[in-house]
Amino acid sequence: MIIRKVGVIGIGTMGQGIAIMLASKGLEVYAVDSSAEALSNGMEMIEVNLDKQIEKWAITSTEKKLVMNRIHPLQGFEELSQCDLVIETVTEDLDIKMDVFQKIDRICRKEVILASNTSTLSLTELASATNNPDRVIGAHFIYPVGSVDLVEIVRGLKTSEETFERTKDFVENIIQKKGIMVFESPGFVTSRLICLLINEALHVLEEGVATVDDIDTSMRVGYSFQRGPFEMADRFGLDSVLAALERMFREYGEIKYRPSIVLKKMVRAGQLGVKTGEGFFKYDKDGDRIE
Amino acid sequence: MKVLVINAGSSSLKYQLYDMTDESVLVKGRVERIGMDSSIIVHEPTNGEEISIVNEILDHVTAVKRVVDLIVHSDHGVIDSMDEIKAVGHRIVHGGEVFKNSVLVTPEVKQEIIRLFDLAPLHNPAHMMGINAAEAIMPNIPQVVVFDTAFHQTMPNTSYLYAIPTVLYRKHKIRRYGFHGTSHDYVSEQAAQFLGQPLESLNMISCHIGNGASITAIKEGKSFDTSMGMTPLEGLMMGTRSGDLDPAIVPFVMNKEELTLNEVNSMLNKHSGLLAISGNSSDMREVTEAMQEGDKNAKLAFDMYAYRIKKYIGAYAAAMNGFDTLIFTAGVGENSFALRQSVCEGLTFLGIEIDAEKNAKREKGIRLISKKSSRIKVLVVPTNEELLIARDTYRLVSAEA
Repeated sequence: MIIRKVGVIGIGTMGQGIAIMLASKGLEVYAVDSSAEALSNGMEMIEVNLDKQIEKWAITSTEKKLVMNRIHPLQGFEELSQCDLVIETVTEDLDIKMDVFQKIDRICRKEVILASNTSTLSLTELASATNNPDRVIGAHFIYPVGSVDLVEIVRGLKTSEETFERTKDFVENIIQKKGIMVFESPGFVTSRLICLLINEALHVLEEGVATVDDIDTSMRVGYSFQRGPFEMADRFGLDSVLAALERMFREYGEIKYRPSIVLKKMVRAGQLGVKTGEGFFKYDKDGDRIE
Repeated sequence: MKVLVINAGSSSLKYQLYDMTDESVLVKGRVERIGMDSSIIVHEPTNGEEISIVNEILDHVTAVKRVVDLIVHSDHGVIDSMDEIKAVGHRIVHGGEVFKNSVLVTPEVKQEIIRLFDLAPLHNPAHMMGINAAEAIMPNIPQVVVFDTAFHQTMPNTSYLYAIPTVLYRKHKIRRYGFHGTSHDYVSEQAAQFLGQPLESLNMISCHIGNGASITAIKEGKSFDTSMGMTPLEGLMMGTRSGDLDPAIVPFVMNKEELTLNEVNSMLNKHSGLLAISGNSSDMREVTEAMQEGDKNAKLAFDMYAYRIKKYIGAYAAAMNGFDTLIFTAGVGENSFALRQSVCEGLTFLGIEIDAEKNAKREKGIRLISKKSSRIKVLVVPTNEELLIARDTYRLVSAEA
């Protein structure tokens, strides 16, 4: 089956990035959100994102127009029936996601793959909300979707071999990203490793071994990380990092996942990183660091 | 004998049907937006009414099928049956080092074109879809491929090598290939015919100035050096491409502006050239107009553009120890007398004396625009890449028969 129309459910940060990336590859995108307000806000953010890309010379204004024309905002699920693939990117909440999967399972044709962009939840559990768990799979994109060419393709217990192969083909040949195969496990590969690094950096800080700046510099300069662990945490959102750590701590029951006290304190203070303008560092409204 | 010429892009396909008995075009047209449910075919018979049809064309096979259907259509067609088409000629951007001439399509030739995807990731895969589609719709009709790079395969290694570690040439075939070869080839032949002199007796410099622009030193009828390199980014300043620049600028800018490879690539290919300097257009006509209305940035863009052409003419004059014919061709080269004037002014030391009156005249067809006394003949030669593709196709298929 040729994939030409892709449904994207949830038009938050990840949904916007995925929609833009798909449309840039020439696919027709049906972007669904629950309220008219969320939709218009999401489409506005998509436009802002594309304008920023023009400023960075990444695209031309003609290309922006083409991309915008390929993204169709929808308020209901019904029109997803014409999609050849659906990617769900709603809030990282099991009940909300299960509800979405139950709905799209009824609407989409039998051969259509239903993918979730979840970074931590159980695919097996999500699939259990449907009558066809063999076609449910994880496709975990990494922020920013446009420039990070990795997708964790996550197999739930009942995900079929065919679903996996077709997803991998889509990821590698249609949207030209590298797909790695992951068997379901909390945090998969990327979140599990990166959250541990961030948490350990927090312990180093708490112990007074080094400053925030020096810890970030050591990873950036010393090990060629594009950004140090604290700036990464700021960009992910400290609340998201905390939620991921707490979930892994619960699931694995291992002490190494226990979130640092400093992290909890900052989240309680509402100092969440780039999105609130301040985390470990300060940021302007474009998300650039203020020195 | 009828020959169909196809130029397949990733979501478009242009076509022309030639009657090779008199090299006339029976019909030309284009399919746009392949892969969508609102694809458009514009079909323009030479002796008939232009029509455009919008419907769903999801792949190149369907596109070719629709084109053939239209060509033999009872109302809009130009021939009675598909059997009259005796050969199909395809334009291929990159022929690498393997293809020095046009060739008949065989399974081995297709394999080679696929191997060249790496060097022309935007073009060759699309061309391949065109070949496969034509094969599917017209299974027993011979096909020929004509390469944009083939004409430049005569360049000596002093012209085509870059002064970087040779392992890069051996491993990845990084070298100058040059483009617009079909055009440079065609206009140099036309020019020799026009002048009534054997091609081998002439040293020419041909300026293909369109949206993309390249300039070639043609020594005794063969490409000796050309301004485009491994990709069409090198050389002259173009509509949106930078042309030559210090390669160290690339990592420097990436670092200063935190750009990714894609971003810097897009900056140099789509946000530079006339567009960047004029600040408002990549179109030479608009830039010239703005300049005449007193826009300083437009004037700077125009002057830089002309200056770089002039610089290359000087370089290639030296490379060939002099030359006798200067050719202007393609959209801008054929139409912008202001540009030709500006390039040729100040080249009198080389023996170029342009006739301002002849240059400013709007005419069709090949024409001389230099003065009688000019040591170097300056010509405007309309290019016709499709005709050359049709000719090569006809020649190869006739030889085979």
